[in-house]
Amino acid sequence: MRIIVHNAKCQGHARCWAQAPDIFKLDDEGYILPGDIKVAEGEELLATRGARSCPERALEIDRTPAERVESVVLQSRFWRA
Amino acid sequence: MATNPVPDHVPPEMVRDFSLFTSPGMPPTPNGDPHAAVACVHAGLAIFYSPYNTRDGLGTWVVTRAKDQRRVLQDAETFSSHRSIFASALGENWPMIPLELDPPAHGVFRSLLNPLLSPRRAMALEPTVRKRAIALIDRIAASGTSCDVMKDFAFPFTVNIFLRFLGLSDDRLDIFVGWGHDLLHGDDVKRPVVARTVLAFIDELAAMRRKEPVDDFMTFIVQAEVEGRPLTDEEVRGIGVLLFVAGLDTVAAAIGFDLAYLARNLKDQELLRSEPNRIVIAAEELLRAYPTVQMIRVATKDIDFEGAPIRKGDYVSCATMIANRDPAEFECPNTIDLAREDNRHAAFGYGPHRCLGSHLARREIVIGLEEWLARIPAFRIKEGTAPITYGGHVFGIENLILDWS
Repeated sequence: MRIIVHNAKCQGHARCWAQAPDIFKLDDEGYILPGDIKVAEGEELLATRGARSCPERALEIDRTPAERVESVVLQSRFWRA
Repeated sequence: MATNPVPDHVPPEMVRDFSLFTSPGMPPTPNGDPHAAVACVHAGLAIFYSPYNTRDGLGTWVVTRAKDQRRVLQDAETFSSHRSIFASALGENWPMIPLELDPPAHGVFRSLLNPLLSPRRAMALEPTVRKRAIALIDRIAASGTSCDVMKDFAFPFTVNIFLRFLGLSDDRLDIFVGWGHDLLHGDDVKRPVVARTVLAFIDELAAMRRKEPVDDFMTFIVQAEVEGRPLTDEEVRGIGVLLFVAGLDTVAAAIGFDLAYLARNLKDQELLRSEPNRIVIAAEELLRAYPTVQMIRVATKDIDFEGAPIRKGDYVSCATMIANRDPAEFECPNTIDLAREDNRHAAFGYGPHRCLGSHLARREIVIGLEEWLARIPAFRIKEGTAPITYGGHVFGIENLILDWS
């Protein structure tokens, strides 16, 4: 599972950070750091709660298992080729 | 209240006789519940036109659904917040900063101020905030079994934190509270007078800190640079005034509404007292149920929005108390569930103007409730008294007399 971070939508409510400060890291202004977040095994519930706490809907939950993501990417590359 | 005629472009069937200032439950009401009173709008149109919905009697569109408010407030290009609400009381036209700036200037000032009120900074202020809460509540507990919450606790607590942040001692606390009250609730005669007084005060404070810098907010502002230049006098003033207006009333009102709720709901009160680790989550639900601010934006262009023909210059109201009772956003929105999950409420607004002080405000509310419940036994509204609530631009509560005899 991973969390897709839509940085442009983050307005620094920091609700995700309040739920899970180790998963959702903030910059000095209190806004989320750029880059999608790979959720470690066992932290899915906490990460889900954090993502669902965003008033701006800046955090998207992607439940596709990592291997599947890769295979989808490969497939789409294959198709394009 | 003077009302403007409804503009021609507003379809008559979209006009509603509703106003945050004059509808039932909005004027001062003993034992009122203004938040429940506004929730009734969800029975009707998702967006409608109110012919008199600002302090000065102007008409606004009223956006009721949370998802539509999110769209309006996230789109600062189409829905500008430059209204000069403070300066206009003086017949002037300068923005409170950063609230009344639009992007990209907004981002420059926001980045300057964000670190001062970041979540981490709010955590660092916590010991001071807690000490102040404990001192006030201990004094109340020692002096009897009843008090006026707003006068004895909520205002001295929140205004003290605000003054400390500004770098001022609180020997003039009552004067500041009076200014704040007159600014928000004063009539057309009082407001310009007190607005001038506040301005003079901010200007004087800025001049003092320029001459003799100390470690405080105003010193930071007068020494700060944006885009490689120091701030202009008008910018310093715009920041100082916003801090003043935003910091004085809102958190105190929130604490008042929260304690009034707990005074009337003894089971919830006892639950939080016996399990204080529930307070952080409960405070979010109380922020959802009892937010205090109506945000108003100005359309910068014609736009058809969810069936409403909004035209350039129209006012668009996004009242947090309406979004927070949206049944499409919150299950059973009029039920207060102190353990509510997925509580993405709008108390601090949406979009780039999200309340700059939200992190500190949250800590103040949580700490205020924690220390109050730890020190004051089961409390009720004092028999024979009735708290007075009011709606308007900032919702509030007065005469909240609690009793624990």
